[in-house]
Amino acid sequence: MTLTTDTRDYLLAFADDEHFIGQQHTEWIGAAPFLEEDLAFASIGQDELGHAAMLYGFILESEGEVASDSAIDRLAYRRDASEYRCCGLVEFIADDWAIALVRQWLYDTVEELRWGLLMQSSLEGLAEIARQVSQDESFHRLHANALLDDLLTDENAKQRILIALKQIQPLTLELVAPIPGEIEALAAGIASGRLCDSIASIEATIAARFDVEMSLSSCLDLKDCRLGRSYYFAPLLQRMRYVLDSDPDAKW
Amino acid sequence: MAIYEVFLKKDGREEFRHAGALEASTDELATVLARESYARRAEGKRIWLVRRDHIIDPGDSFVSPNANKPHRHHDGAAVAARRKAEREERT
Repeated sequence: MTLTTDTRDYLLAFADDEHFIGQQHTEWIGAAPFLEEDLAFASIGQDELGHAAMLYGFILESEGEVASDSAIDRLAYRRDASEYRCCGLVEFIADDWAIALVRQWLYDTVEELRWGLLMQSSLEGLAEIARQVSQDESFHRLHANALLDDLLTDENAKQRILIALKQIQPLTLELVAPIPGEIEALAAGIASGRLCDSIASIEATIAARFDVEMSLSSCLDLKDCRLGRSYYFAPLLQRMRYVLDSDPDAKW
Repeated sequence: MAIYEVFLKKDGREEFRHAGALEASTDELATVLARESYARRAEGKRIWLVRRDHIIDPGDSFVSPNANKPHRHHDGAAVAARRKAEREERT
């Protein structure tokens, strides 16, 4: 099946989210609160980058291209800013560990649902990716939950976490808001549902984890979500391309 | 916080081998961190964690004296000389 502009956008939104959240996690290497967490967080980021590469590769193959490393790199790094479909939550530069950790938990909680919507995809290659990736994801959630289980028992840490949760609530809306091409992907059987139909379930999971209410229903009012880039995007992409740009003709 | 010693076992009949150590506040967190710190590149098929304070360590002086017991060791020279002498006797 060839992807349409809409269904391509839908898959790009997921691939770009994976790419950018992966980058964000890996940037905590050497900066996370303790050595073991440096490694764990960056390793989880590396998994996400791998998932992004699988999705970019799938998009390329669906368009009849060979999913070579250089072709994946072009799609991942060389588009105009207007062609990216990531959301504000993954573009946001978290310079506070509490935000980085809460974002990991939120992102991975929603990510589980997103992969679940692709498990029965009419695109068999995509369903296969979803099944394979889900194994990694269960460990990502285990990581975030193990840290939160411990930190939420400490009153000071708990307050920092709850403040972080409140701070990124507006960005979380962008994560769960209707995705460009989602309706078309649903009609084509590529996805088995819309992410925003799971808002109540996501709210319940957040409430159970943090013992606070976070309303996400206003995400349905967001217009043109993912079509514009945030303040953080350009410098982040520039940093991500730093090595590639240092020698554009290099063969990797 | 507690220190955990991490052991990895490769495939088949390989024994568990010490891979390193890490610090964590709970057993649950320790297992997650050990997985990412020591086994993320499939360095082993199984992993064990042992809290360092659960290891029974009788201390240096418990075993090290065994390195200095010449009265119960020999270098085999006397036996070798006797066997050589018997061989030569037979020929």
